[in-house]
Amino acid sequence: MSTRAETVEQDLVDIPRPAEGGPWGNWRRQLPALVWMEFRRTFLSRRALGPWLLALLPITILGLRAIWPNAVERPGNVGEATAIFAGTFQFHLRLVIFFGCVAIFGNLIRREVLDRSLHYAFLTPLRRELLALGKYLAGVLGTGLLFGGATLAAFVLAYLPYRSADFFLRGPGFGHLFAYLGVTWLACIGYGAAFLALAFFVKSPALPAVALFGWESINFLLPPLLKRFSVIYWLQDLCPVPVNHGPLAVIADPPNPWIAIPGLLLLSAALLALSAWKVRRMEVRYEDE
Amino acid sequence: MSAGGERHSIASASPGGDRRILFEDVSKFYGEVLGVNRVDLVIPPGITSLVGPNGSGKTTLMNLLTGLLQPTRGRIRVLGMAPGEPRLFHHVGYATQVDAFPRGATGFEFVASYLRLHGYGPAEAAELARRAIARVGLTEAAGRKVAGYSKGMRQRIKLAQALAHRPAVMVLDEPLNGLDPMARAEVIGLFRELAEAGLFVVVSSHILHEVDRISDQVILVNGGYVVAEGEIEGVRGEMAEHPSQILVRCDRPSLLASRVFERDSAVEARLLGDGRGLLVSTRDTDGFHRLLQGLVINGELAVETVAPADADVNSVYGYLIGGNGQGSRT
Repeated sequence: MSTRAETVEQDLVDIPRPAEGGPWGNWRRQLPALVWMEFRRTFLSRRALGPWLLALLPITILGLRAIWPNAVERPGNVGEATAIFAGTFQFHLRLVIFFGCVAIFGNLIRREVLDRSLHYAFLTPLRRELLALGKYLAGVLGTGLLFGGATLAAFVLAYLPYRSADFFLRGPGFGHLFAYLGVTWLACIGYGAAFLALAFFVKSPALPAVALFGWESINFLLPPLLKRFSVIYWLQDLCPVPVNHGPLAVIADPPNPWIAIPGLLLLSAALLALSAWKVRRMEVRYEDE
Repeated sequence: MSAGGERHSIASASPGGDRRILFEDVSKFYGEVLGVNRVDLVIPPGITSLVGPNGSGKTTLMNLLTGLLQPTRGRIRVLGMAPGEPRLFHHVGYATQVDAFPRGATGFEFVASYLRLHGYGPAEAAELARRAIARVGLTEAAGRKVAGYSKGMRQRIKLAQALAHRPAVMVLDEPLNGLDPMARAEVIGLFRELAEAGLFVVVSSHILHEVDRISDQVILVNGGYVVAEGEIEGVRGEMAEHPSQILVRCDRPSLLASRVFERDSAVEARLLGDGRGLLVSTRDTDGFHRLLQGLVINGELAVETVAPADADVNSVYGYLIGGNGQGSRT
């Protein structure tokens, strides 16, 4: 251990300390550092194995179909690929992205409470609101890339066995792809904000997540007013291929995309503000301390 | 290289010019459970030790000071800033007694990553982390995962993390726990070095004789109340209802004992085993010293040494809290 006499004073003079800044401090430096730190911890570590495996599900299903001999009887029927991907994307959206977001956003704060390491971040000059925002942005970035990558790969694999060059070069292929990617990112934004906020109100997000999953799953049966209180309602009609929910579905006017997208973003911002407020008031009292 | 301006010095660490830590009528309740109650404290620079038994409120005081807890009532100011203000953490470093770390981090990553949240750039954070780790003697182990560290190494890496951003106030909850004697001596040396540089070093420890050695002032806490505060000798002086113990080595201890008991203030006098000294308990220290002086001047007594026998934290702790302090756990 160094007890060199020069350490204290020397340390003080040769590296300037960051400016304290205004009420938001040195956020331009702090926020990217936090996002990167959280991104690495959440997506580039062993704990990310579950979401990575989830993301592989639609790729595996469509990949197997693409390589399975004689799985596609009419390669010229590109419409079949469109219908198959539309169905697969519903599975991707409602199960893979949903539960992936539960696992990731539900644990952004909770995991550090369980690990008893949250206080390290609380003891830095980073505003707690920025802590919530940074963790959320890291989650959105990670899930967007992970599940967006899965959407892209699954889309390619869905059309691979078909003669789909015209569909992409002269048809709506790329339009569909971008729409699905947009819905994927919006789902990550919406579900992410919901599960981040939820984690402040329940000890384990698993049961409420299952309840929310049930709510989202029966959305097509709900009256038009109640449909609006779900993320899937706003996303559903942004998909380029409408989904047939069968004869029991309650028909409602599809939301205008110009309302659906800002509406979802506003709802997410409100939930994020709620999370920031909870973090601001949070006290560190680990149970066995 | 520059992180945005302001060169730091310890003297300018307090933005408002207030060089104190203040607790004003601070109470903290966990529901109906008392954490601390009606605490008024002024902590000056130097080493201040919080002493008290397990559950006495030491960690609560430290958590209140660093904003990890909000007071139910009262006001806290650290260098003129409220604990909730983010800018305070440029000036405060806190090593809690929580033995937990971010999963998978090496010692270096642990220290450097949180420096980034202070606003330091990657190169600056890396340099400051290297220095802090060197100061606690963990350079060799910096690249290893903290999960594989011994208890003493984990204590030291927490210390490095708390001091890496060069705070003016260091708050250290049980920092000597798990350290071997050599490391303990080195850490105590580091505390002294920091205190001599004008920093506030607030330490809690249940190892009372070490607190005694390193403290400029002591705060005794019990049951959520501050029982006494100040310099060790001053705190001892406040305990007027408790007799002082004075050890006198002299040639005629029996004579001294008989003269002592002629005075009302004497409580007890015990001859030492070797027959060459007396341990006196008295409520009138000044009167005893006058008596001793008279005996020496009259040639009745030859005195070798006179020393207070209880002006240490252990004794004060025992008086105030009711134990001997040796086996207490905080």
